[in-house]
Amino acid sequence: MPRWGMVIDLDRCIGCEACVVACQAENNVPINTEDVYHQRRAIAWIRVERYWEGEYPNIKARYIPVPCMQCTNAPCEPVCPVYATYHTTEGINMQVYNRCIGTRYCAVNCHWHVRFFNFWEPKWPDSLKNQLNPDVTVRSRGVMEKCNFCVHRIVKAEQKAKVEKRALRTDEVTTACAQACPTNAIVFGDLDDPNSAVSKLLAQAEQEGRVYRLLEDLGTDPKVYYLKKIDVAAAAEPAATH
Amino acid sequence: MRRREFLKVAATSATGAVLFAGCGRIGDGVPETEFKIAQPVHTPNDWVYGRDAWFATAAPPDQGGYGLIVRVFEGRAKKVDGNPDFPGIAGKSDARAQALVQELYHPDRIAGPQRAASRGSGQFQQISWDSALQEVAQVLRENGGDRAVLITGRPSSSQAAIINAFRQATGIRHAILEPDEFVVLRTAMQRLFGTSMLPYPDLGNAPFLLNFSADFLHGWIAPVALARAYGEFRQGRPGKRGLYYHVGPRLSATAANADRWFPITPGTEGLVALAIANVLLTEGSIPADTFRPYLTALGIDETRLTSEFTPERAAETSGLNAEQIREIAHALVEHQPAVVIAGTSAAAATNGFFNLVACFGLNLLLSNLNQPGGLLLNPDPPLAELRVPQDAVLSERQWAELFEQVRAGSISTVLVYRANPVYSLPPAVGATDALRAAQHVVSFSPFFDETTQLADFVLPDLAWLEQWGLQVPDPGPGYATVAIQQPVVQPFVDGRAFGDVLIQLAQQLGHALPWGSQEEATKALAVQLRRLSGGSVPGANDKEFLVHLQAQGGWWSEQLRGSATTPATRITSPRGPEFIGDTSQYPSVLLPYPSHTLGYGELAHLPWLQGLPEPISTNVWQTWLEVAPRTADELGLTTEDVVRLTTPQGTVELPVYVNPAAQPGVIAIPFGQGHTAYGRYAEGRGVNPLTVVAPQTDPDTGTLAWSATRCRIEKTGRRMRLARFEGNVPAFQLEEFPIVRVMAPSA
Ligand code: SF4
Repeated sequence: MPRWGMVIDLDRCIGCEACVVACQAENNVPINTEDVYHQRRAIAWIRVERYWEGEYPNIKARYIPVPCMQCTNAPCEPVCPVYATYHTTEGINMQVYNRCIGTRYCAVNCHWHVRFFNFWEPKWPDSLKNQLNPDVTVRSRGVMEKCNFCVHRIVKAEQKAKVEKRALRTDEVTTACAQACPTNAIVFGDLDDPNSAVSKLLAQAEQEGRVYRLLEDLGTDPKVYYLKKIDVAAAAEPAATH
Repeated sequence: MRRREFLKVAATSATGAVLFAGCGRIGDGVPETEFKIAQPVHTPNDWVYGRDAWFATAAPPDQGGYGLIVRVFEGRAKKVDGNPDFPGIAGKSDARAQALVQELYHPDRIAGPQRAASRGSGQFQQISWDSALQEVAQVLRENGGDRAVLITGRPSSSQAAIINAFRQATGIRHAILEPDEFVVLRTAMQRLFGTSMLPYPDLGNAPFLLNFSADFLHGWIAPVALARAYGEFRQGRPGKRGLYYHVGPRLSATAANADRWFPITPGTEGLVALAIANVLLTEGSIPADTFRPYLTALGIDETRLTSEFTPERAAETSGLNAEQIREIAHALVEHQPAVVIAGTSAAAATNGFFNLVACFGLNLLLSNLNQPGGLLLNPDPPLAELRVPQDAVLSERQWAELFEQVRAGSISTVLVYRANPVYSLPPAVGATDALRAAQHVVSFSPFFDETTQLADFVLPDLAWLEQWGLQVPDPGPGYATVAIQQPVVQPFVDGRAFGDVLIQLAQQLGHALPWGSQEEATKALAVQLRRLSGGSVPGANDKEFLVHLQAQGGWWSEQLRGSATTPATRITSPRGPEFIGDTSQYPSVLLPYPSHTLGYGELAHLPWLQGLPEPISTNVWQTWLEVAPRTADELGLTTEDVVRLTTPQGTVELPVYVNPAAQPGVIAIPFGQGHTAYGRYAEGRGVNPLTVVAPQTDPDTGTLAWSATRCRIEKTGRRMRLARFEGNVPAFQLEEFPIVRVMAPSA
């Protein structure tokens, strides 16, 4: 059984946000209008955060794409009174939209702020609805939503493999963000398959001392791994800046 | 519709090849048997219930023209991605390509041909295609030939072939409107290396990149191919990591990824390049005879280079110190084969052409042309018909002349296709007045943009994903590449492909063009590729060839490569930048910059792109001014204070974004907004920086120098909320939990 995970190489990421639009397109994320930004209610299942470091002229803008961390011990799960958020056997932290009653406890308990509440009924002009992905539900007002590693793609690939009476092939499925990312900064795959791209990348990066996870010390065991950015001006290990 | 007609439509229009499907009838639509059994009556012809189809097509020319695949489900395009087989991009794409479906299903697409109630009234009424074509043909009969001009944006390669045939048949002049920086870039490539095709920096193999101002990861020439190569440059080679230095006036999102950023005064890129050449020569790190073509191009000799263009002299104007310049020069020598590129604001100065020649010319000194890890020159399109005529691309100066002729009445008919001169040219060029004065204006735009608002007739083009075409990516990956564009869905509105309309108009005027439709032209040109050497597409006959071409999404031949020539005569001379406005009144330099998603405003109608945070400020849906913290302190400004920006050209009021990376003395402002028309998502937000840019040109090319205006800002006392992503998600500073971890290369 696969255990899905993601590796994001910050030395490759250029902050272009192709991943963000690809995710919006794939997952029917509503258009983030100007109003929504003013209300601080923009929804972005993957977002690219920009951090400043240093001062002009030695200033750095650092980029970090942030999807749901898919924690193995997810703090958002036990607080849901209706079990709308649960863990799949393949390690994905899932959200059942039609079970969610909008208490937002999960959002409060998520340290990474990757759960989004639908304050409004999502709206598209009629013609733009033609683009909506039929594999993904449109979430209604009053429910939480979040990145689920494009689970519909995974399910489709697994069903296809089943019909063809074979096991899922290594790296047969990927997420929309990883597919779009022009620099190959995002790689998705099965962490338990030693031949998968993510496993190989992690093994290699582990040797280089580049692997870390966001807020790792909280012990939630995220399945999104970051590879440290390399900076010619940085001091030697364990240089860590933010 | 009768069954026979129905089959004809299905076979000739929107059913292209299903990629990777291995279907034996690719290109001919769904097999006939399926129609009999399953085709419902009121659904699109290519409706396949509940099954995904992936069609190969091509990105628009201004996005790089590379191969795409589009997921189509039940007759509707759902998702755009890069074509995994396509050279240079390997399945990758960007936000702009992803947003192509929003152009297709845009609620403000023009539904069908229109006639204006009266010019400029903004009131249009729908008419039939027959009468639209007849009336426009009548206009061309009376006011065609040399009394008419066809203004287009950069056409696709197959559109260029149709336009050319149309031009030859009717005598109508063709003028191409491209962003000024690209005009300068192409002219520089033409005169420096003998090709107007753009070069490709082979980053995947380069140990070192020196970039002068080009925003190459975010919108410049071929962002997807270059970003993919950048990923390889950084982490694609075990044990080797490419080093990237950026010299430029603004910490663009591209500069933010550099290992070192050297902020300079806008427009001094060329002088810094010369000072680098000076170091290389005086220190003897590069053989002296290598310098000959470089010095020839710039019209200087060794003595002048060594005496006048010292790092110390360059330091006085550029804002760098001599040590930094030496450091860059040494890095170039240490990390061979290094590659040097330049563009964006470097090209938009009053010495833009000189800047590009001086910077790109460094590649000659490094002897890296067409070498792995160097600057790869691209060959001309493999078929002469696919060349976009470079002489049709007009400079700012030539636009002013053209519009003067329109105003004077010697040109009475203006046809406009996917170009928006009213918005994209500075007001001083006089596009608006000219269009008002013209006797007839016909637009082929699928949207009511500013120029289309002034048209008498609108014959709306199809969306990009609804048309046939061939596209030569520019730049290609260093060898001949052609992408095939095919409709992935049936037209969503009653538009017609621009090429079809030109062919039909020519017919009405009594000229038969060589092809009956844009599709026919595409296929006729495509099969000619079969006869060229080394092509990647198999096919025992033309039909089979086409099937494979459509399934693969393109044709390429690694045997057809670009060749380099070096300049034998002087093409420019060293010059510093000039600015309009005196320093006492206008202490700062105004530095507009193209938006990473909206470009120069041509993509402002797509809501995904409007809502995508600008990577440095994270602002969305607006125009803002970027000022340095020091400037903000001096003027008592904070983010969201509205300031009055004054240049010798005019005044606008805009909210401030205090940008910690902004250079004191440089006020940056993004292009992209300020549309007065162009659909609900673009209209009425922000300002177009061109309204305050002085109409100053680069004497070498006659193009607009949009980074050559001085300005001042004053506090108005008002505030305005700026929509911004920063802070949308609450952030806490936790000392023990660094977010972005960084390490030194050797660690
Ligand atoms: S698409 Fe890739 S390179 Fe672009 S921001 Fe996302 S992770 Fe970074």
